[in-house]
Amino acid sequence: MLRYQNRRLTIFWFLGPAVISLLLVGIAPLVFAVYTSFHRYQLTNLRSTPFVGFKNYLFVLTDGVFWEAMGRTFTLLLMSLPIQIALGMGIALLLHKPGLGYLRTLTRLGLVIPMATTYAVVGLLGQVMFNIKYGVINQLIGFLGVSPINWLGDSTNAFAAVVFWDIWQWTPFCALVLLAGLTTVPGEVEEAAKLETKNWWKVLRHVQLPFLIPGLTALFILRTADTLKLFDMVFTMTRGGPGSATELISLLIQRVGFRAFDQGLASAQAIILLILTIVLSMLYIRFFYKEVAQ
Amino acid sequence: MTWRSLLGSLALAGALLVTTAVSQASAWSLEEAAKPYAGTELEVVFLLRPGYEAAEKMLPEFEKATGIKVNIIKHPYENALGEQVRDFVANGDLDIALIDLVWIGNFAENEWILPVDKFLANKDLADPDLDMDDFFPLVLNAFGGWDSKIYGLPFDNYSGLMFYNKCMLDEAGFAGPPETWGDLKDKYGPALTKNGKYAFALQSKRNETQSADSFARVLWPFGGSFLDANFKSNLNSKESQMGLKFRQDLMQYMPEGIVAYDHAETVNALAQGDVAMITEWSAFYSTLTDKNTSKVGDCLAIAPEPKGPAGRKPALGGFSLAVAAQADEKEQAAAWLFIQWVTSKANATRYLEMGGVPARQSVYKQPGIAEKYGFVNALVESWQDGVPEFRPRFAEWPTITEIVQEWGTKIMLGEVSTEEGAKEIGDRMEKVLEEAGYYAGKKPLAQ
Repeated sequence: MLRYQNRRLTIFWFLGPAVISLLLVGIAPLVFAVYTSFHRYQLTNLRSTPFVGFKNYLFVLTDGVFWEAMGRTFTLLLMSLPIQIALGMGIALLLHKPGLGYLRTLTRLGLVIPMATTYAVVGLLGQVMFNIKYGVINQLIGFLGVSPINWLGDSTNAFAAVVFWDIWQWTPFCALVLLAGLTTVPGEVEEAAKLETKNWWKVLRHVQLPFLIPGLTALFILRTADTLKLFDMVFTMTRGGPGSATELISLLIQRVGFRAFDQGLASAQAIILLILTIVLSMLYIRFFYKEVAQ
Repeated sequence: MTWRSLLGSLALAGALLVTTAVSQASAWSLEEAAKPYAGTELEVVFLLRPGYEAAEKMLPEFEKATGIKVNIIKHPYENALGEQVRDFVANGDLDIALIDLVWIGNFAENEWILPVDKFLANKDLADPDLDMDDFFPLVLNAFGGWDSKIYGLPFDNYSGLMFYNKCMLDEAGFAGPPETWGDLKDKYGPALTKNGKYAFALQSKRNETQSADSFARVLWPFGGSFLDANFKSNLNSKESQMGLKFRQDLMQYMPEGIVAYDHAETVNALAQGDVAMITEWSAFYSTLTDKNTSKVGDCLAIAPEPKGPAGRKPALGGFSLAVAAQADEKEQAAAWLFIQWVTSKANATRYLEMGGVPARQSVYKQPGIAEKYGFVNALVESWQDGVPEFRPRFAEWPTITEIVQEWGTKIMLGEVSTEEGAKEIGDRMEKVLEEAGYYAGKKPLAQ
């Protein structure tokens, strides 16, 4: 009996701190957000916080601004993720070739730099580099005879700049994950396949790809989650503008909650986003984990 | 008692009163007043702007004289409101509130700040030389006043001014800056927009800059306004529409991508000689005259903003400092002493010399000041013509400004017409005001 109690105590001491921290840092704010989402909770008028039922949720679900921001977020994801994976795959395959020696190590180190750079700094760099007059991007395309492009002052171009910048920052991550996947392919299998055919696509499709599926699954889940919460880079680069051209869902929630101080509405937006994220994650897991299992 | 003896007694009593007052006035000193509060630490938010750097340079003198320590927390403008609101809601550490004129209603209605009366009535704390009448009345009332009470003393004070490159204007055959917005567009615009240079830049980035510096700037001189007398949207009135359409027309003489221009880009465009004229806050004078940051040099000249059909009505903005209600009694007293000192008549000249813009009338009357600081005459003139409700100062402004920023930028980009944009802003603005209780009579129609 004493032994059993001691075992339980040990488990508690091992798990307790983590569980308590999670409750305090993760669950308590979530519970509070659910509470505020059912109230009129204006930070600048806390003397009156009446219960409003589903009013905030109804407003969000019928608010064009919310769905437009959601649409932009998924557009960014759908535009950038395939390119990141394609480019990442290309880089991974190049680095996977034998005989690169130090060059491979140096390239791997170089690949870490963009993703190790703070999002906000990446955004500020973008703001300077995409400047219509002094930006280095326009200087570079000027060498090719292209007239300066109004990157940040035009709705379409600003969104394109955000997509480009996201690809720049996160392609290396995809490359490193896929490179790690390629190293798990048994050498003899890959060699045998290459002796069978000189077609690299067949080798990739039938031999290497099955080993890349777990990495790809992780990439889909992580990049989707990252894009849904992408804030700092876009905020410092365009602040969601011009107009609403780059106002992603996280920027909208921040704007409503911390600049218009409507915490009730912002909480409802965040809860709806959370539900969408959970549904999406479940879909990913259902489809891709099934693939892995097969 | 004869009339003569009565008059004699009254004269004696009057003389005694005056003597007492004079002796009290001369007896008051900052050092003595601060003695009970030595060792007190104050927390205040400052911005990353010239006026704050000036105050920071002056600070050691105050700390040495009083033993009160002032801890400055620096934030860019865009974060300053959020940081302060969160601090006040959480009953945090701030002892002094830094109040943009559009935050005053919000702070006062939430009772986060204290009226100055409390300290003026305390003879131990009130400096007899404070001289409230010396502040420009418009500035004191707009920056520090709400609902007939004064809460804050004007600290970092702006008026919209026209900064221009007189060499570029000379070259194009203009003897001076445009007197009206119409001239700017019709005469100066075509003449100065050529060879990659532009006549004008109007900072219009989607933040407070869009609402205050761009949208509101074209409403008032054309006779428009955000709200009518019943607090309904006035943005679709003939006058407001005239102003908004004028801005669309004027954009052909502005650099491409003007909706991405904040203050820094706009000031830099003039400083580098890329545009001939800008309308900016007086606070940027020091940036434009600094040889390290500006190439304009002696070509820089300053004038009041152009007039519209409804008059000059220049942009009005600026910050006051007020004692935070959440501070304890000692901190409140120490905070008042600091606010009173940093905005005092005695320090106004030094504050000006170090890059700040005081709101004291007396400093601008001093001989040589107008000659030394090119913006003085234009500034003083602007502070006679300003509109306190240039942007409504009520508690709902933080919500409304977000709406204006979004749709104001969409109008400029041509994504919606001026009428459609104004209607969207108007409808959403009225909804906010309705929820706040203005139409149900729960709140006075004060802005």
